[in-house]
Amino acid sequence: MKKTALSIALVLCVSLLGACAQFDSKRGVEVNWQTEVTDKLTKGESTRANVLALLGPPSQVIALDGETALYYLFEQSKGDGLILIVYNRMRIDTRYDRAIFFFNEHDVLTEYSTRIYQSDEG
Amino acid sequence: MKARSPLIAAVLLVCALSTACSQWRYDLGTPLTAIDLPQQNMLLAQALDLLGPPQRMSATDSGFVLAWEHWHIREDSIGLSLGALGADFLSADWGEMRVKGEFLLLTFDRQHLVTSATRSHWDNYGGGGKAIQPFLGFVSVVDAGDLIGPLPQHKWGSSLLQQLPDTLNMVSNPGSGQSGLQQRGTPTAIGQQSLEMD
Repeated sequence: MKKTALSIALVLCVSLLGACAQFDSKRGVEVNWQTEVTDKLTKGESTRANVLALLGPPSQVIALDGETALYYLFEQSKGDGLILIVYNRMRIDTRYDRAIFFFNEHDVLTEYSTRIYQSDEG
Repeated sequence: MKARSPLIAAVLLVCALSTACSQWRYDLGTPLTAIDLPQQNMLLAQALDLLGPPQRMSATDSGFVLAWEHWHIREDSIGLSLGALGADFLSADWGEMRVKGEFLLLTFDRQHLVTSATRSHWDNYGGGGKAIQPFLGFVSVVDAGDLIGPLPQHKWGSSLLQQLPDTLNMVSNPGSGQSGLQQRGTPTAIGQQSLEMD
């Protein structure tokens, strides 16, 4: 009888033994392209030096036959998981905060666009 | 009845320890479905207002190309192993992957006007397998590794510090921003990355 109770307790323990996991991963450049920062930039007037001074070094510089583009990227992954030994579930969401700036052959800003992901937590 | 109870407990224990099911879900980027495809001759500024900064970009001979993407990857697997009972001589695994996504590509001329726009949607079986493996699990039946990697911009700063074949082929690498771009999961054994010998 004692053995049976022990066996059942063991089965229950194993069945109920669970874990959860949560992680996030961040890579890329510092997000400095909030609206209050980019409001200081004017198309046709601001220069590449102005943008670099405000945002710092970009993730990538792309040469476009006389023009250049500066690309800023910040990548954020968030994951959560349920580990119940017999059933495991992981979910990973990756979002990209990014900004791109185009300059003409005189290093003057011609176009730009920015995007900062708003998480569900606000 | 007394004799059967330990048997039932043992059977339950075997069930609990020998089988496991795993589900992985990856969501990369934000959906593009609600966005209308830009028309030809649309200005770059309008396209950026509509879509935001692209995720991929490259110079081309006649201007440049921008791309936006969203991926949703679903990976399910189930495995049976007797290892937990001290009989680690056999395991049976089954797994499959579904890949759903969108890719939007715009090409621009040197005047910053859209010259072409295209998009694709897919919802496909992305692979899978079954395996019965003795002693050690040599083969992973589902592999999403090439679909979930970071964007190439992160590697740009160290692009000339890669292994020699990669560095020598840098002018042809789609991650450089100078020689076209490619979608996730594009095979590297042929095409402009074949010399990297990955």
